Amino acid sequence: MSLWGALAGGVVGTIVLTSGLRIAQELGWTRMDIPLLLGTVFTDDRSRASVIGYAVHFVNGLLFAVGYYAIFRAVDHAGWIFGAVLGVVHASFSGGALVTVLLPAVHPRMGTPWSDSEETPILEPPGFMLVNYGRRTAVWTLLVHVAYGAIVGGFAAQLS
Amino acid sequence: MERIDGYAPIREYALVGDGRTTALIARDGAVDWLCLPNVDSPSVFARVLDSDRGGSFRLEPGVPYEAERRYQDNSNVLETTFTTAEGVVRVTDAMTLTDDDRLSPLRELCRKVEALRGTIPLRWSFDPRFGYGERRTELDRRAGRWFAHSGTECVALGAWNVGEITANGATVGGELKLREGDSAVLELSAAHKEPAVLPSRDDVERRLAQTARFWPRWAGRIRYDGPWRDAVVRSVLALKLLVYAPSGAMVAAPTASFPEWIGGSRNWDYRLTWLRDASWALDALIRLGIDDEAHAFFWWFMHASRVTQPRLQILYKVDGSAHSKERELSELAGYRRSAPVRVGNGAADQVQLDVYGSVLDAIWLYVQDVGHVDGDTGKEIAKIADYVAEHWRERDSGIWEVRAETTHFTQSKALCWVALDRACKLAERGLIPDRCDRWSAAADEIRAFVDKESWDAERNSYVRAPDLRELDASLLTMAILSYDDPAGERLRGTVAAVERELRQGPFVYRYRGEDGVGGEEGAFLTCSFWLVDALARQGRLDDARRLMDELVGLANDVGLYSEEIDPNSAEFLGNFPQGLTHLALVNAAHSIEDAQ
Repeated sequence: MSLWGALAGGVVGTIVLTSGLRIAQELGWTRMDIPLLLGTVFTDDRSRASVIGYAVHFVNGLLFAVGYYAIFRAVDHAGWIFGAVLGVVHASFSGGALVTVLLPAVHPRMGTPWSDSEETPILEPPGFMLVNYGRRTAVWTLLVHVAYGAIVGGFAAQLS
Repeated sequence: MERIDGYAPIREYALVGDGRTTALIARDGAVDWLCLPNVDSPSVFARVLDSDRGGSFRLEPGVPYEAERRYQDNSNVLETTFTTAEGVVRVTDAMTLTDDDRLSPLRELCRKVEALRGTIPLRWSFDPRFGYGERRTELDRRAGRWFAHSGTECVALGAWNVGEITANGATVGGELKLREGDSAVLELSAAHKEPAVLPSRDDVERRLAQTARFWPRWAGRIRYDGPWRDAVVRSVLALKLLVYAPSGAMVAAPTASFPEWIGGSRNWDYRLTWLRDASWALDALIRLGIDDEAHAFFWWFMHASRVTQPRLQILYKVDGSAHSKERELSELAGYRRSAPVRVGNGAADQVQLDVYGSVLDAIWLYVQDVGHVDGDTGKEIAKIADYVAEHWRERDSGIWEVRAETTHFTQSKALCWVALDRACKLAERGLIPDRCDRWSAAADEIRAFVDKESWDAERNSYVRAPDLRELDASLLTMAILSYDDPAGERLRGTVAAVERELRQGPFVYRYRGEDGVGGEEGAFLTCSFWLVDALARQGRLDDARRLMDELVGLANDVGLYSEEIDPNSAEFLGNFPQGLTHLALVNAAHSIEDAQ
């Protein structure tokens, strides 16, 4: 088990996760656009927002990989199955709290019960388990996070 | 304005757009056509194709009224003024342009209502139906807004000062009363594969004001002080709405399956780009000083056609892709029961040799404007000319895309000659590899073929094809594109024959014979403007001016033309507004000015 392995898994896992969400958009399954959601924290400009959003998402992917590694160390076990289980937890956290509650709380352009579109244009809020962006969003979010977790767990276990 | 079975006359529509998509708005305030996110995407409102299932966004007084419309000066912002016994109200409609300063919706349709006098009751309804009405539309209310969505498509409704909103199925609407000085705003914010953006009223109105300021600035680039200036400027503004800004491609029209005859089956999708329009577009835009759009269109078609060069496909999608599968939407009734409704266009697979003349002429016009092309592009152009020299003897479907058997259309052969003529001119300037001997020899063969096989001495005219001894208005392009001296005996005879056999008042039919598609059709407005152009080039200036005056008078109240017209009722037919008609108008006005 190694931190470098987890980080390598974080790189690959984030690429898989981001690509998976993009494919889901193209297939008509979700309107969730993570780069736009993250990038518009920093700018109103759509093009720049997407570029910044991809970068932020990539860094987040690495930070989460470090978090996964900490858990692997704590329980002294890593592997793709355990990583996939953590992916389920990760997806639940992302869909249930991170994007739904925490991101709107700090996002200057995302709607919340206490925000006002008369003050600033707001992004449509995601709703619980991101259901506002399409009913299949939650399922797809779960799948790509499980894939991410499995990859991080597998890389962390195999690379030393 | 009276609707027939829920359908407004095509003449009663006006167009707004944002360089990505367009909306058609009827005189009674209904948005009856809007495709999202792009002009060639499936519709959200398609009441024009099915008054029950298509969906629309209506807004009109709740009492009897008279409606007058205009575009704000030199803009594509539409104003409809409703006058009632109770007072006067103005609706300003526009698709707003991208706002760089604030996060703005992917696409936005803004409808601002202002009570100018008295107290006016109004009613409105918002009834989106995704996917040409074929897909299930869900409606829900969140964050103080109404959202209609289906898959990755979503439209959110912003409504300010419109009173109580009620929902009924997938439709929301309401009634409001505005007192003098009051205003209200309805706004459609569209999202595609992303969360919707929900702007404030101030944002919406600021973007509307910015959009209203943008258009006159843009129109200020138009260099034209000749006759019929208003008609020319309106045509150019309409053409600008047909340009898909991300690529520079110009669609033939922003609509699909508007019928060429009421109840008929000649219903085609024109939300694609025909290379045939290239030379007309570059000629019009370059002469008017609209260089950026002209050059963008040039480079778009040079890039789009690269996958098939040296063979040119006749049409491409606005994103440059070469595939456009035609399909019928059997669940839609069609405009006034004109079925089938088709989307996509099967003509993409046809061979139409005239396209080579149009493209080489467009390249020649571009080079005259810019002065050069790069070496690789020059080699590609030479290969296209080689292809013409090898393939001009083949049969094709002709400029009118007939679905009957292919034949040797005269106009196609003449435009192959034009292609080779322009290639030689480019070679003479050293801009493309010089294989002029070969091209000239082929051009001579073409001329010999046309002059022998396509000439009808009895008529004193060229005919449609050696085996189709009838007139075809496309033969007028032989005079316009300088196949021969326009004032020469043969082209004078041909123009006279077109007038004799195809003209009815100011109207000109394309042809009278068969084309493999059943049913009637109207007169083709482009052909009327081509006739003006040809007359001007032949020095028949009085005839040209008289006809031009009549044709300019045939535009609808906001200066737009469809593809065809019923000569008996002057009812517009076919897709609307039609780019080729407006291009022909601009070029005809120019030709008269040049001849003067």
